[in-house]
Amino acid sequence: MVRFHEQIIGDLLEDPNGGLVVLSSGLYLSKLISSMVLLHSSSRGTLLLLSPSNPRLKSLILHHLTGHKITVSEISADFPATHRLSLYASNSVFFITPRILVVDLLSRRLSPTLIAGLLILTAHSLSETSTEAFIVRLLRSLNPDLSVFAFSDRPHAMVSGFAKAERTMKCIYVRKLHLWPRFHVHVSDELERDPPAVIDVRVPMSKCMVGIQRSVLEVMDACLKEMRRTNKVDVEDLTVENGLFKSFDEIVRRQLDPIWHTLGKKTKQLVSDLKTLRKLLDYLVRYDAVTYLKYLDTLRVSESFRSVWIFAESSYKIFEYAKKRVYRFVRSDGVKLVSGQGKSVAGKKRKSKGADKIEEEVGGASSSSTSSALVLEEVLEAAPKWKVLREILEEIEEERQKLALSREELMVEAEENDSGIVLVACKDECSCMQLEECILNNPQKVMREEWEKYLLSKVELRDLHARYKKKPKDPKGFGILDGVVPITPAQNAEASSTNKQEHDALLAAASEIRKQAKMDYVVGEDLQLHNGSRKHEKVKGKVRNKKGAANLPSPGGKDNNRNEKAARNDIVETSDSGNQGKKDEINSLVAGGFCEATSQGASVDKPILQKHNQESNYTGSGSAKNLPPVHFYALESDQPILDILMPSVIIVYHPDMTFVREIEVYKAENPSKKLKVYFLFYEDSTEVQKFEASIRRENGAFESLIRQKSMMMIPVDQDGRCLGLSSSVEPQASSSQNSITRKAGGRKEIEKEMQVIVDMREFMSSLPNVLHQRGMRIIPVTLEVGDYILSPLICVERKSIQDLFMSFTSGRLYNQVETMVRYYKIPVLLIEFSQDKSFSFQSASDISDDVTPNSIISKLSLLVLHFPRLRIIWSRSLHATAEIFASLKANQDEPDEIKAIRVGVPSEDGIVEDDVRAENYNTSAIEFLRRLPGVSDSNYRAIMDGCNSLADLALLPVERLTELMGGQKAARTLRDFLDAKYPTLL
Amino acid sequence: STSLVTQSRNAILVSHRQKGNPLLRHIRNVRWAFADVVCDYLLGQSSCALYLSLRYHLLHPDYLYFRIRELQKNFKLRIVLCHVDVEDAVKPLLEVTKTALLHDCTLLCAWSLEECGRYLETIKIYENKPADIIQGQMDTDYLSRLNHALTTVRHVNKTNVVTLGTTFGSLSHIMDASMEDLARCPGIGERKVKRLYDTFHEPFKRVV
Repeated sequence: MVRFHEQIIGDLLEDPNGGLVVLSSGLYLSKLISSMVLLHSSSRGTLLLLSPSNPRLKSLILHHLTGHKITVSEISADFPATHRLSLYASNSVFFITPRILVVDLLSRRLSPTLIAGLLILTAHSLSETSTEAFIVRLLRSLNPDLSVFAFSDRPHAMVSGFAKAERTMKCIYVRKLHLWPRFHVHVSDELERDPPAVIDVRVPMSKCMVGIQRSVLEVMDACLKEMRRTNKVDVEDLTVENGLFKSFDEIVRRQLDPIWHTLGKKTKQLVSDLKTLRKLLDYLVRYDAVTYLKYLDTLRVSESFRSVWIFAESSYKIFEYAKKRVYRFVRSDGVKLVSGQGKSVAGKKRKSKGADKIEEEVGGASSSSTSSALVLEEVLEAAPKWKVLREILEEIEEERQKLALSREELMVEAEENDSGIVLVACKDECSCMQLEECILNNPQKVMREEWEKYLLSKVELRDLHARYKKKPKDPKGFGILDGVVPITPAQNAEASSTNKQEHDALLAAASEIRKQAKMDYVVGEDLQLHNGSRKHEKVKGKVRNKKGAANLPSPGGKDNNRNEKAARNDIVETSDSGNQGKKDEINSLVAGGFCEATSQGASVDKPILQKHNQESNYTGSGSAKNLPPVHFYALESDQPILDILMPSVIIVYHPDMTFVREIEVYKAENPSKKLKVYFLFYEDSTEVQKFEASIRRENGAFESLIRQKSMMMIPVDQDGRCLGLSSSVEPQASSSQNSITRKAGGRKEIEKEMQVIVDMREFMSSLPNVLHQRGMRIIPVTLEVGDYILSPLICVERKSIQDLFMSFTSGRLYNQVETMVRYYKIPVLLIEFSQDKSFSFQSASDISDDVTPNSIISKLSLLVLHFPRLRIIWSRSLHATAEIFASLKANQDEPDEIKAIRVGVPSEDGIVEDDVRAENYNTSAIEFLRRLPGVSDSNYRAIMDGCNSLADLALLPVERLTELMGGQKAARTLRDFLDAKYPTLL
Repeated sequence: STSLVTQSRNAILVSHRQKGNPLLRHIRNVRWAFADVVCDYLLGQSSCALYLSLRYHLLHPDYLYFRIRELQKNFKLRIVLCHVDVEDAVKPLLEVTKTALLHDCTLLCAWSLEECGRYLETIKIYENKPADIIQGQMDTDYLSRLNHALTTVRHVNKTNVVTLGTTFGSLSHIMDASMEDLARCPGIGERKVKRLYDTFHEPFKRVV
């Protein structure tokens, strides 16, 4: 446990009422919380942790608790109520889902005095209407001694919106705000006392990458300028720096949502374009050249005609550069520019020439299509970081060996160095695997494989129609493709719009690969055994060689080639299994066993790497040096990797603020350990910019929080305290906060204590909370029909806008309304809009010229026509809904809980309670009948008149059915369905 | 009056009160004509609509109530078409909602005259349209249809449907099965047997 954690907890526990803690991300919120849990003494009562929506935080907390006496289990809806009750009374610690807790509190199963404390783990997601706030209010009202501790490690989320921190504190009735930024004296003292050795490696980006980045930023800037011109968004927010973050979308959407329907198509498109562009920047440093190109290709296909950016001048450059990183064309009659060695150097030189060429060819493509042939030449630029990573690893190993030598001499204990594992942290699982491949194998090979995949997918997507020219030496391959790929004219049309020749050459290359794959089966051995032909092949026929070696373990071989190949296969296999092992272990999270196993895995790795080095020596791409055992870790996976692995060297491949902080804490916790950290940045890239901006942003958030704290108006005797004394009577204050109406009559109604019966499933939404705030008693039950029962007559089905659209499509709404209409005199559909979104379905300009079945207007009209008794409530917001409910209930009787539960549930003899028709009709038979094919709204009554029961119907001949159903076709359909042979599965 | 009836069959009849309402410009997909009708818009044999602008409602809060009362009990579907044309709609909308709900009217809200017009057009055009577009796209293959039908019987699940299908071979045999045969199916308990049997053998109309 780090000291500042102790301090945080010490400060927090000073006020028994509780408090809100905001700390910098990466300072191990999970450890802090597990320490809180460990401090819990059972004499005080039960401690509840509200399960966060993010399961990772929970699993991290559980991980930190392993090995301690306390076990924290989860109370979920799966437990029967009585079991839950006994758990509540057991004075220990539990995770609990908010929904279950609120239901148990409302149904008065759980006595609030049993609960000593409540921990809320994601305070930034709290709001006045959230279930968590509801829980705190319910608990506080009956248990004034309750302590509530709320935490957040996302400071920037705590400053979004007006006085968010203050409002959050008010809604959970705490008075103390504890801020623990990274620059807090105690934190920085502790973390900087003995900081890890940091080596900042700045990798220059390749020319093309710089070009892409510049172009993307240009386009982004253009989009932002365009956006500014709309005058819809606060200009201050519209900076490129902001645009680099995901939260930019939120900023923009928050400002635009209320007026979203009034925006033109162009503004909306700009918003989504900015998102796309941000992704392009991000992927530029994360993906390899081929994958990046692939992504661009899909973008071009998926959003070609609508988006603004794709037609911008600079966008063209993005595509060009991306292409240049992968391949280029040379004219077959031109000078052979290619010379095989010194790839990176030569590549740069050639690039400019290549560019000229391409432009030339773009110009003269149509005319030259027959005369001058283009040859596709692969560039396959590897990510610059790959090479650097390798060099660093080699360097580390060298140092290690030196150290080991000196240590042997000095007889120093070697134990300290037991986990000589190097941890490489990158953003996602995908780059993890790719890096692993790169290190174990050859980066060139990785690129090659991606390239092959890319080409093959190209072939699958489109196909060739026009004749094309390949390398003049073997002008065929058309036949093979022709046989495999079906030709569709539509695709050809599309293809013709792009540069045809270029396209053709690509396909030629693809067919080459295919052919190679085929030929490998036949000739196999022969092809790859051209000793010493490798250099040559590197230029032209590398495809075949690599493919054969990696994928086709062919029978037999000659001299040392055979050995080498075996070794290679070996690499593929063992590295796979090594991988597998590691993953399994991470999953199982058994810390002790893990270390052992990984070091085992590492020892397996080592010889492989050596083998590999031999090989790479042979191909001449690198010098033979040993690599240390490496573990690749994806930041996304959020494992407590540092604690498990205890690495002594960490390479941060993709810089990430949170992870940097975690390293710092890790170092502070293990002061004796020598820790070396390498940061790999692309020089002058948005990657650096983004990293630095994220720190600035967090600091800014904290500064703003500190300012807010100094001006905060939290009454010493908070609402919650008053409420605590006046037990069940609801606080006027909370409902008058947003009082829309303050009629004198309104007061009186509240005194009566209104009741609303609410379906359990509705506790996902905030409406029960708001109704409770409004002074109504909430009775949670499981309802068969409807969501809210306001009175014996009024039953309400609530739909948010999104729900409404979805349940119209699925047909659910129709069925729900149908049953409501059957059982209640006043069935109501509540259409609830969201406060911060616009109050309308669509803007006037979005309404089409004629009546279309897909429009929401048509669907609603149809619903209204079919259920004339259905009433519709249009509500602006949750609070408006509460007002409407209250005013509707004013002159109605209170609903009966027992009756409401029984509605729609058939009793033993099959007769459905309260169904007006049930006494006279066999309702389930009618329902059944109406679902048979051929039976329609217009003919089912006639069928019912014509036969007694369904069993009778089953025997009616088609002639009689024709009579009843008024048509041969319908009758035939029904008869066929009835008599159809059930398809047996055997 | 016969001409009025024929007219009302394929056109919206508009009350003279609505003369000058710019909304009329937006009724373009359906014919409309002025007529002496008690409602604002007569949309079909038994459906009608009253038009209410929230701005007007703020000035004359009682107007809606009197208009609804005038309608008496002549219509099955009574729509209050509410044009939300004020910025702060919460309070007036609450009043309109309450009045409509307690006096058997269906409230439809629209935010522009185009939208108001479109509702009127759609309700007229869809007068006799079946509800299938809002009943969800059902898969049309045999098994899903069979599932769809048989699962109307309470507690019968998909596994039961497979059991029934394989045991009896066709739906007509299932519908005609005896209680014993049904009871012999694995996984179908006593209560399900009774429910199934009752569904198939009880007459559609209990009291004839």
